[in-house]
Amino acid sequence: MKTDFVALEGNSRGYRIMVAILVVVGLAGQASFIISYVNGHQAFGSSNVIPWGLPITAAIYLIGLSAGSLILSSLTYVFGREQYKPVARMAVFLAIALIFGAMMSIAVDLGRPEKFWRLFMFFYLNNMTSMFAINGILYGGYFVISLAYLGTILAAQPKLTRIMGIIAVGWAILVHMGTGAIFGFIAARETWASPIKPLEFLTAALTSGLALLILAIILTLRFSGREVKQPLVVSLGRMLSVFIAVLVALITVDKLTHIYSPAREATVYMLSGHFSWIFWGLQIGLGAVVPLAILFNPGLNQKVSWLAAASASVVVGVFFERYYLVIPGAAFPQPYFSPGEIQGVWGALNSFALKPAEILLCAGIFAIVGLIFVLGLKYLDLLPPKEAPETPTGAAAKTPEGKA
Amino acid sequence: MARWGMVIDLDKCTGCQACSLACKAENNVPHGSPQEHARRTAPFWHKVIAVNQGAYPSPSTTLIPMPCMHCDDAPCTTVCPAKATYRREDGIVIQNFRRCIGCKYCIVACPYGVRSFNYKEQEGKTYHRPDLPPDRTDRGIWPFPTRVEGVVEKCTFCFHRIDEGLKQGKKIGVDVVPACAEACPAQVIAFGDLDDPSSNVSRLLASRRWFRLREDMSTHPKVFYLAD
Repeated sequence: MKTDFVALEGNSRGYRIMVAILVVVGLAGQASFIISYVNGHQAFGSSNVIPWGLPITAAIYLIGLSAGSLILSSLTYVFGREQYKPVARMAVFLAIALIFGAMMSIAVDLGRPEKFWRLFMFFYLNNMTSMFAINGILYGGYFVISLAYLGTILAAQPKLTRIMGIIAVGWAILVHMGTGAIFGFIAARETWASPIKPLEFLTAALTSGLALLILAIILTLRFSGREVKQPLVVSLGRMLSVFIAVLVALITVDKLTHIYSPAREATVYMLSGHFSWIFWGLQIGLGAVVPLAILFNPGLNQKVSWLAAASASVVVGVFFERYYLVIPGAAFPQPYFSPGEIQGVWGALNSFALKPAEILLCAGIFAIVGLIFVLGLKYLDLLPPKEAPETPTGAAAKTPEGKA
Repeated sequence: MARWGMVIDLDKCTGCQACSLACKAENNVPHGSPQEHARRTAPFWHKVIAVNQGAYPSPSTTLIPMPCMHCDDAPCTTVCPAKATYRREDGIVIQNFRRCIGCKYCIVACPYGVRSFNYKEQEGKTYHRPDLPPDRTDRGIWPFPTRVEGVVEKCTFCFHRIDEGLKQGKKIGVDVVPACAEACPAQVIAFGDLDDPSSNVSRLLASRRWFRLREDMSTHPKVFYLAD
């Protein structure tokens, strides 16, 4: 099967409004970054107990989306499943936009963002036992590799694409397991320390990445006036249900292991504390129960709009999985001395108040990722052609760039 | 090379917080507002925690002064991506402001919560060092004259006192001790060389029962607590 790819015309009123909105939100994010840089991290809700806040949540979430999206593009370019080919380019480009957003999120969460380059002085200024430094290699390499991968795809070099695809997928798996290791290797934080975290992160990445991809496919194709191929989306939906089931199994095992051990206070807090509604309602409810109910329902799992709803639910649910791990997961006071109850502020449950600056900052980063994606659709040949091309006059200049 | 350590006698501690105050004064650690303290964004290099045990009519409180434990196998030095925190030859775990990128991974990894982030441009900028060793100032990397927001800082065992004392040939642990040990009215805190069997800290450890905090973490802290 031969699939041609074309660029989006991008002349409609809706497209322009969307770009304008994304630019405005992106600029608002920039402004809040400047505020946080000038005022220091007091503009964020983080503290010495919960050192990481919304930007790190956004970072690991975006990395997950990116790795998941890239791994799925390999179905076409590595494993030769032609049925997914119409959307494979979009998946690779989405992955690049997302990893860029993730690196931005990490940079803006640093206390000294101007020293970001120090994370990439591998082996020279970096302490290579740090999972952050190792992930510096992984993220930087991932960015370069996926750009090269997209390059080979756009240059229509099937052999090179296959090689780059294999490298990119292996690397993407490493990237996300490395991200999980940032949390899983920390023995001091009871709720984080877990050998299963890298795998849990990888599965969450595949789940959220695939869900976002389904959503992006449906929305992009529908708004650009293309036909959404129902069998393609349905088969992706079937894959999504498997990923969700594995993710639920891993989360269950992780939580059960932590509860089984006598040092269970922090995990019990996570499961039944005053923020546990995020876990049960958003992470499990939106992330697993609702989408599984749709995906295993024989009537609904054939309908594109229901599949879009399930995917949107997963995308939100996995975000809150990250949120719940990073923020309430660190809130429980550490047992400096036991037995006994540490009095006062040193043993108090830390509260985390989301500040407007970090919310706006993350919204801005998401907007920039969206902007890169929609601009990429316009200036690169990422989309499958329309079934009955009507070639509006304005787009005629752009289309000849498309590969025959 | 010496291996500096601290021995804290919990039986003598009255919880007067003179150590915490002396630490703030010696190192010019910024003070935060009560709100900042409640949110845990105010920097502390040294703190005294009170741990309640039992219930009426037989309650008890253990007062535990907590400087940095200066672990021999410190998780913070393992996780720091920028080589900003490292263990000196003499066992002191130190934070280099110039290298610190402010990723806060060390705060995440520390089992004792002894690390503080500068959440704002602090008023107390000068990192009080009246006795800077001149050779190192020339090199320009260490020590740091001023603190900036956005980096992590922590207890240094008052290494400036130790370095200066060694240069002047004074006896560390007797003539020269960290500010917290010097300020303690009950002489709770002893400081000295753990590798020297004749030092005061070695004698205390040999004569009394001791424990360290969170030994299950296997970080091998060099702050020992006496209690019996």
